Amino acid sequence: MALRLVNSKLRSQILPMLSSTSLLHSHATSFGFKEVSEEEKSRLVGNVFSNVASNYDLMNDLMSGGLHRLWKDRLVSKLNPFPGMKHLDVAGGTGDVAFRILETINSMKRRAIQDSLNDSLHEETRIFICDINPNMLSVGKKRALERGLGEDKSLTWVEGDAEALSFEDNSMDGYTIAFGIRNVTHIEKVLAEAYRVLKPGGRFLCLELSHVEVPLFKDLYDLYSFSVIPALGELVAGDRASYQYLVESIRRFPPQEKFASMIAVAGFQKVEYENLVGGVVAIHSGLKF
Amino acid sequence: MYRTAAKRLFLGTSLRRNGNAHLLRFPNLKPIARPSANPQPFTDSNPNQHEFPNLSDSTSYSSSSSSTSSTAGEHTRSERQRPGIDYQEEQARVLQASLPHVLRLGWSEEAMIAGAREVGVSPSIVGSFPRKEAALVEFFMDDCLQRLIDRIDLGEDLKNLIPSQQISVLVRVRLEMQAPYISKWPQALSIQAHPLNVPTSFKQRAMLIDEIWHAAGDDASDINWYVTRTVLGGIYSTTEIYMLTDRSPDFRDTWAFLDDRVKDAFDMKKTIKEATYLAEAVGVGMGNSLQGFVNKVFQR
Repeated sequence: MALRLVNSKLRSQILPMLSSTSLLHSHATSFGFKEVSEEEKSRLVGNVFSNVASNYDLMNDLMSGGLHRLWKDRLVSKLNPFPGMKHLDVAGGTGDVAFRILETINSMKRRAIQDSLNDSLHEETRIFICDINPNMLSVGKKRALERGLGEDKSLTWVEGDAEALSFEDNSMDGYTIAFGIRNVTHIEKVLAEAYRVLKPGGRFLCLELSHVEVPLFKDLYDLYSFSVIPALGELVAGDRASYQYLVESIRRFPPQEKFASMIAVAGFQKVEYENLVGGVVAIHSGLKF
Repeated sequence: MYRTAAKRLFLGTSLRRNGNAHLLRFPNLKPIARPSANPQPFTDSNPNQHEFPNLSDSTSYSSSSSSTSSTAGEHTRSERQRPGIDYQEEQARVLQASLPHVLRLGWSEEAMIAGAREVGVSPSIVGSFPRKEAALVEFFMDDCLQRLIDRIDLGEDLKNLIPSQQISVLVRVRLEMQAPYISKWPQALSIQAHPLNVPTSFKQRAMLIDEIWHAAGDDASDINWYVTRTVLGGIYSTTEIYMLTDRSPDFRDTWAFLDDRVKDAFDMKKTIKEATYLAEAVGVGMGNSLQGFVNKVFQR
């Protein structure tokens, strides 16, 4: 409750500022609870992820109590990868999702070789990992080497913007974005690009921190995110501001229903979402036709 | 009973309107056969899962950012509006194309992936079926039921048979449809028996039995309704199981087995009736003596 009050107070203070900035830049957007110009946002988000890249995994484990691994597993099992897949993982610089997809496909391949039935193996599996931030990508490449996947031809690391992908139309079987779409400047541009690069029948899956509506749990969760997480960030990563941004940006992200309707507007069919841990994270999915 | 009749009427008209297009059949059939395709999206079995109708208009979507999505957005949106392509039809097409692969790959995701490749749809679509291979089996069951209904509607020859013969003919027609898949049918049965799939497979079987019984011209809706359907369901299932291990040419043994079971059932029906009469008679007798006893007691 108190937090919501603070929030509205903050906004009322910002409002005069906002009106003046909106005169200067008609394209105002949010950076956490702050209103900033669009160019500013991408720079600030870039800073955040450059700052946190080195401690990214450790912090994820600490903040979610290791749950983010299960969430990502769930995402990949919903994706249902298959050998010969062309997949694009956006904002997946550290490779967490991509490695899981590759492992799933490899275990399927082993089974298929035993059956010696599958002729689709000739087609090569390709997983593209696209991230706007080179620091995050280098973390991912390092981890690929550690996992012995450095030589794997299936993985391709691409530095690129989710709002303007460098891939051809109708070229991908799957598109995932895990904990990324919150940080982009224009969500609908990202969705439009996702729709563009997917083949008919291709699927869009988005794992994102979302909104908790369960009454008591919501208060607890708010308390945790506004008091514990920034302190944890300061303690472990020595960077309070980045984690303050993290929790604020979650609150600014559209709620499940709204985001689902945005996906539908982008052209996707069979738009569904699944709440995990009461809405702390949600997996949205859509099918392109 | 009335539900079945109404459904047949509905299916009949919609089929005639659509001509023989196989693709269009499935979406018509689906709302009846599947609980998951309900028009009310929030009654889905998984409370966490919400489905959205496809929104084609952009009115519902926020204004704060629509001004910022400039020319590029407009351009792609006009491209995106391709009316007439419905994902359910595409899913049905994929499933239809997967059936020929079942013999080689089983009722499996691999068969569905092969089917998707064949119709030029990304195999990713397989992930959009919530229960994967169960969707394939259920599609096949729906498809067979549809074919059986068509056969019943066409078959004037059926009218001249006595009910017990009609039933054996119809069960045989239906089971012959799965004869090509007999080597993989145990797998399909095990998929249907999976706890997650039981509600749908049970419903599909109930509909099938309803359809056969209805075609055999029985319009009773008393307590017999349950008895007869249970018995017919038993006959159908045991024959289906018998067929799995039948190596005789053209499943000759299976059809003999089927005829015997149907005959047994009709004999039993007679026996039950006789037993009922007997029980009634005994009951009346007992009642009399009991009454006499009670009267005696209270007279004292």
